[in-house]
Amino acid sequence: MGVLTDRKRLGVLVLLGGGLTFLLWYLAPWAVPHRLFGGEGVLLNPFGHHLPQGSLPQGYRDGWLYTLFYLGLAWLGLSLLLPWTKAGPRGLYLAGALGLGLFLLAYALFQGSVAEVNRLAERPLLRRYSMGLGSYTTLAYSLYLLLLARTFSPGGLAFLVRRRGVVVPLFSLLLASLLGGVMVAVLKESPGEAASWREALMLKLDLITYTYQLLYSPLVNPSGFLQSLLLATPLIFTGLAVALGFRGGLFNIGAPGQLILGAIAAMLVGVYLPGPRWLVLPLAILAAAVAGGLWGALAGWLKARFGAHEVINTIMFNYIAASFFLFLISANEYKFFGQTLHLPFKYPGYEARSYEVRPEARLPHWTELVAPGGELSFALPLALLLGLLGYLLVRKGLGHRVLAAFLLGVAGYILGGLLPGPQVAFGPDLTSVRLNGAFLLALLALLFFHFYVFRTVGGYELRALGLAPKAAEYGGVLAGRKVVLIMFLAGALAGLAATHYVLGGGIDEYRLKQSLPYSVGFDGIAVALMGQNTPLGVGLAAWLFGILLTGGLQVNLQLGISRELVSVLQALIVLFIAAGGFLPRYFTDPLRAAEVELKEEKEVRA
Amino acid sequence: MNLDTAFLTALFLSTLRQTTPLLFTALGGMFSERSGVVNIALEGIILFGALTAALVVERFEAALGPGPHPWLPWLGVLAAMAVGGLVAWVHGVVSIRYRADQIISGTAINLLAAGAPSLVLTYFYGNATSSKEVANRLPLLGPEGFALSPLVYLAFLLVPLAWWVLFKTPFGLRLRAVGEHPEAADTLGVNVYRLRYVGVVLSGVLAGLAGAYLAIGFLNQFVRGMSAGMGFIALAAMIFGKWHPVGILFSTLLFGFASALAIQLQGTEILPAVLVQAFPYVVTVLVLAGFIGRSRPPAAVGKPYEK
Repeated sequence: MGVLTDRKRLGVLVLLGGGLTFLLWYLAPWAVPHRLFGGEGVLLNPFGHHLPQGSLPQGYRDGWLYTLFYLGLAWLGLSLLLPWTKAGPRGLYLAGALGLGLFLLAYALFQGSVAEVNRLAERPLLRRYSMGLGSYTTLAYSLYLLLLARTFSPGGLAFLVRRRGVVVPLFSLLLASLLGGVMVAVLKESPGEAASWREALMLKLDLITYTYQLLYSPLVNPSGFLQSLLLATPLIFTGLAVALGFRGGLFNIGAPGQLILGAIAAMLVGVYLPGPRWLVLPLAILAAAVAGGLWGALAGWLKARFGAHEVINTIMFNYIAASFFLFLISANEYKFFGQTLHLPFKYPGYEARSYEVRPEARLPHWTELVAPGGELSFALPLALLLGLLGYLLVRKGLGHRVLAAFLLGVAGYILGGLLPGPQVAFGPDLTSVRLNGAFLLALLALLFFHFYVFRTVGGYELRALGLAPKAAEYGGVLAGRKVVLIMFLAGALAGLAATHYVLGGGIDEYRLKQSLPYSVGFDGIAVALMGQNTPLGVGLAAWLFGILLTGGLQVNLQLGISRELVSVLQALIVLFIAAGGFLPRYFTDPLRAAEVELKEEKEVRA
Repeated sequence: MNLDTAFLTALFLSTLRQTTPLLFTALGGMFSERSGVVNIALEGIILFGALTAALVVERFEAALGPGPHPWLPWLGVLAAMAVGGLVAWVHGVVSIRYRADQIISGTAINLLAAGAPSLVLTYFYGNATSSKEVANRLPLLGPEGFALSPLVYLAFLLVPLAWWVLFKTPFGLRLRAVGEHPEAADTLGVNVYRLRYVGVVLSGVLAGLAGAYLAIGFLNQFVRGMSAGMGFIALAAMIFGKWHPVGILFSTLLFGFASALAIQLQGTEILPAVLVQAFPYVVTVLVLAGFIGRSRPPAAVGKPYEK
């Protein structure tokens, strides 16, 4: 684009970014060597610290900060000048790389300064320490420079536009996070007293930073990491359930109801069907899928047969399913026109819950999968390896490749199970996380989605129906039947999410409980949009939300901010993605995107 | 089973009370869809309205003392309408200016309405589920034993007013034109975007009114998720009522009756309460399946307009 390659424009953009960087360097803490209970931190800033106890922690030396500050100033000045020199965008690559180096240096110096204090003491004096927003600004500005460098190089805009499936969700996440930060600042008083307005702002900025550090803390903490996978498991299923609908031109808001029906079916089979494990467990899983699928197909049929819009219908089905669910497990005696109906499902006691699922029908806990009997097992890794080899080496049709992968995977699982492994022991913080076999089912569901939607005729028809319903019908797709089928499959995916809760004990017990968090079905909408309806994207988005939900608990515990902050972030992400991230239209409109790409291609050649 | 007069009177009054929020919301949805914008966010806007009304009244009571302040609930109502309009305007910006999928944008606002109140409630009251009860509710009007909130009367008075606005004023004609054939309306010099904004914001104002009625007319506090699908049911009623005020009056009365029946049957031995609660939702599904085929939505509804 002619306007964008303009040097002046690049200079202004760099100036804006640089100005903001300097402002944040001035206002925000660069590092927090120690955090007191309640969230107030010892905030270091080259323009003046915030010290809750009046002085730096005993033995702490802040000299590194000033070295870094002057280096940073020189770098900032350089970056501001570069766009006006001959180096242009190419020079900005250098500046960006330098900035990354500067950030790493800051990290190393800060860790060193904390380690020095802790080394001398018998017990570590500084336990809760972290970098601050000022340092993160250095990182962000570096990345910004690199992005500008790429965008303003020839063909740069096309580079971004081609990756709009990543750009729009990430940009929306960024916007939502900024707005979420503002909300935290408004709704939560900062801990600690400030002597000046700058200090007050520093405390606020630190509060926001700390909130996000807690939200993303599961990334760096083993039990939080497992917990984030645990919470991601149902989100993968419901995200796929919504994404499949989107791909087929349907909006499935019915995942909560489909999940409930799946949970009821899984409970019925798991509690009341006697039999060996190899029979009961697959049947219970299948029952969850079929029940959820039928509940979804009902809405699909109403649309296909009567033209009733699936959005309102699936919402109504959610309420109806919730009522039915409570009806089954909240009491065993009901009066119908004076007559008494007896049900067998509720477990005795005050709480509304079913009987426990029989041990044969339970999905294994993650420790049983990774290390049965305390011995590390090679079954899963070998199954994965052989399965992948089978898929890649067999050079025939898709059906053969998948079959080969499956057979080799099973062989690998059996073989790996026979191999002896080393003894391992996990701490109670890890074994208490109830991650279970449903996570593997979720990964399989991702594979299913990929193969069905992108590699089969049925999936091709589904996508055609979503992109251009009339053309698809003209091309021979039976639209009515397809709608029912899509809703069945979507419902089945949502129903499978229930296996995590009922068969996998995802909420503490292997049974149907009133606290079944079926609203994860709504979270599936955010997951599907964030993941742009692709299996990889859905998996990553589900994990992201799993992380945030896990971190949300920490935010609640440590700062007293409601965990609903995460659902507000989710809602904002959905809103912003719907608006295309407020980005120019060539990021949302495929035709305009193609125009941009063509034009840029010509420019690169010229 | 005793169908005495007391039961029937209670059922009748309950029907009117249950119909009121549905009627406000459905009329709002009608204005929005007639202008060409699907507003599924109404469900969430009811919640935002209810939260605003309860918060405004409660905060003023905390500042001025418990009262009585006869003007205070009306201030709450106005604030709820303003916030409802504002939230709807956001939906408008995203779906009109940024041409988002209107259903996704609306769903986003509904998700927001499910989470954001908890943050606000935690800030003011330290719990995430309900606000403090207010002392100054909307007054009751009418003879002893039949007294109803003024908003109930207002809702029913709005029906002829909406009919007049939609079919007898130039504004109404333009609004409908914009929803049926925006290109034609644009050619004649009608500002499509502005009229759509007006339609959407109007729907938000009315849904905010419905929320205020729930929080300080029907109850005396905000409770999380208190709209319980009313916004969606109202949209179904709007479809069933064929996007026409009089049709909407009867269809919301039907849904209001279903809800009232569910309430009146609770605690009796006729049907279990948990099942009866699902009654309005089942009616909605049946209505959508049985009758929608014969009603025709505005031609351009749901489609972003581009000049």
